[in-house]
Order: sequence, then C-alpha cells, then structure tokens
Amino acid sequence: MSIINYAAKEINFKVVYYGPGVAGKTASLQHVHRSLPDGNKGKMISLATGDDRTIFFDFLPVSALTVRGFVTKFQLYTVPGQVYYNMTRKLVLRGMDGVVFVADSQWERLKENVESFRNLEENLREYNYELDRMPCVIQYNKRDLPNAAPVPYLEYMLNRRARRVPSFESVASRGVGVFDALNTVSRMVLLSEFGQEQEVQSNAS
Amino acid sequence: MLRDLVIHENEATRIGQVLGSFLEESGASEALLIDRSGQLLASTGKTATFDTVSISALAAGAFSSTGAIAELLGETEFSVLFHQGVRESIHVSTVDGETILLAIFDDGTTVGMVRLFAKEACRAIGAILAEARTQPRRVGVLAAPLTADETRGRIGPETR
Repeated sequence: MSIINYAAKEINFKVVYYGPGVAGKTASLQHVHRSLPDGNKGKMISLATGDDRTIFFDFLPVSALTVRGFVTKFQLYTVPGQVYYNMTRKLVLRGMDGVVFVADSQWERLKENVESFRNLEENLREYNYELDRMPCVIQYNKRDLPNAAPVPYLEYMLNRRARRVPSFESVASRGVGVFDALNTVSRMVLLSEFGQEQEVQSNAS
Repeated sequence: MLRDLVIHENEATRIGQVLGSFLEESGASEALLIDRSGQLLASTGKTATFDTVSISALAAGAFSSTGAIAELLGETEFSVLFHQGVRESIHVSTVDGETILLAIFDDGTTVGMVRLFAKEACRAIGAILAEARTQPRRVGVLAAPLTADETRGRIGPETR
C-alpha cells in the first residue's frame, strides 16, 4: 500500500521477499544493507530464532531515487520461509506493493519452491490482491551450487503463468544478482503506481 | 485490504496539531501515527531521539500478531496494547482499520492518562484520515504519469 505524503515530499512503498526456508531472503537483505551508504538505508532488524532462522520478519528501510522532488522510500521485508509460520507470513504481506520471490535453485528444493509460490498466491488472495496485477520478480538463488537446476527448468516450474515476470539468477551470499532483482521490482512498483497501465505491462513481459 | 493513502499538507498540519495536543494533555513524550502495514505516517515528540521508522515496523508487527491471537480467542481484535518498561513504556491503540497510534511515555504520567487522551486523539485522527482517503492521490507534480526515464534510477549497483 503506497503512501504519498505531500507534506514530507515522500512516497513510501513496501516490498516483500518471499520464498521457501533457507532460500536466501535474509541473505539478500543483508547484502542490500551491506552495500548501501548510511544515508540511503536505515537500521536492519531481524526477528530470528537462536539459529538465525527468521521467525517473524527482517526489515530494512532504504531510500531510492528522487522523483519530481519526492523521495521514494522502500521498506523491505522478508517472511519466515518455513511452512508452519504461515500466519506470521500472512501478516507481513499486509499492505505490500511488490514482491521478490527468492527460489532455491537446488534440484531437491523444487517442491518447496512450488509450494511456497502457491502459498504466496493463496495468501495474497486473502487480502484480495492478485499476483498477476502485482509487481513481482523471481530471483533464482544459489546459482553457484553444483546441484542447481537449469534456469529454463525453474522457469517452467515457477514462471509460466499468463504474465511471465522478470527473473534473475543470484548468489545472495556474495551479492550477485540481488540488486538486479530489487531495482527491477522497485521500477515496476513505481510504474504501477505512477506510470501508464501499458508501461507496467511492457515492463513485466 | 488496505487502501492507498495520501496525506496532503492540510491533513499533515491537522494531524500534527492533534498529536501535539495529545502529548500536552496526556504527558506522553512521543506520538507516532503508524499505518498497519508498518509505515510511519506522522510523528510528534519532545526528544526525537528514537528510531521511529524501526519502531513503526515493529509495533505494526506486534499489533498484527496480537490481533491474530485475538482472532484465535474469538475476539475481533485487542484494541489496546501496553508494554511497560523500567523507564519508557508504550501504549498502542486503534485509530481505524488501517492505522494505529503509538505513544511513548515515562513515569511523568500514567497509563490511565495516556489511554484517556489517546481515545480522543484516535477519534480526531480517524476523522481526518477518513477525509484524506477520499482525496485524489495524484495532484500537482505527480498528476502526469511518470515516464520510463524517471523510474530508471537504481537502489543499488547491479551485477549484470
């Protein structure tokens, strides 16, 4: 849910990193946090268990470009990936403007990716959001692992809806591909709010 | 579903006035108006030393999760949340379906005072936000659609 504040000259958006457990959502946010200068980021907060698994969410506010005198700010969240945390996962989706789906590229995690993607669709429906109208990108993570499935196969499994979304290969632990996905989804969010309808369509195809 | 919100200068001023009076009457030191998705809409305070952006995200999360607990108990929601600290305490209350008001206060006042005046403030802010939600979103410089060039900026460096 974007918030335009004419008094503060700010536009605020919420982007959520979604995906199965240990796919690299928190690692992606950590890379964003490490890479940005202090002036462009706030504090990163992680609500995690003792063994560093996200229990509620990670949160990182970043500011992006200035558009017509308005500073655009993106609040980045991750969800807990583990199946049994669905209630908290749903809470984090509230009011979101865009989603980065982080898939684990390993062959043995394919099932979890598909289930998580379906879970995303179901949870969005509960808020009356439609994934097909929501700015969305897919980040195929862990591309450096020897057991990573080929991208065309992952695309076939996760990205063959009527509207295909932009997808990116990444190695979040080293920061590869993380900003490619984030910059694209932030652009899509901006266009879906302030662009022409056809621009959103062409950007997403 | 949450509705998009736009705050024009007029509403920002009025909200600021309500929050200011609330602080004066209740004795709280800081007041934050927070959207339930976790975004800070407005804040007024005497110290301004707190990380209000982080507090907003966490308070919205806490409020949502206690709301989910309420549902499990058959309640619609817990309309007030209170956390007591050694020096600072917080009081969170419902403004409307999409917004909450968080007050930070110390032992210079009591939770009863904060609760009493928060109720009034929530009512007044709720009325302002109801008006704000009927306002056009894109006016002035934002009226014309953004061009692709204007959205080409990047949050961070890409690897491609």
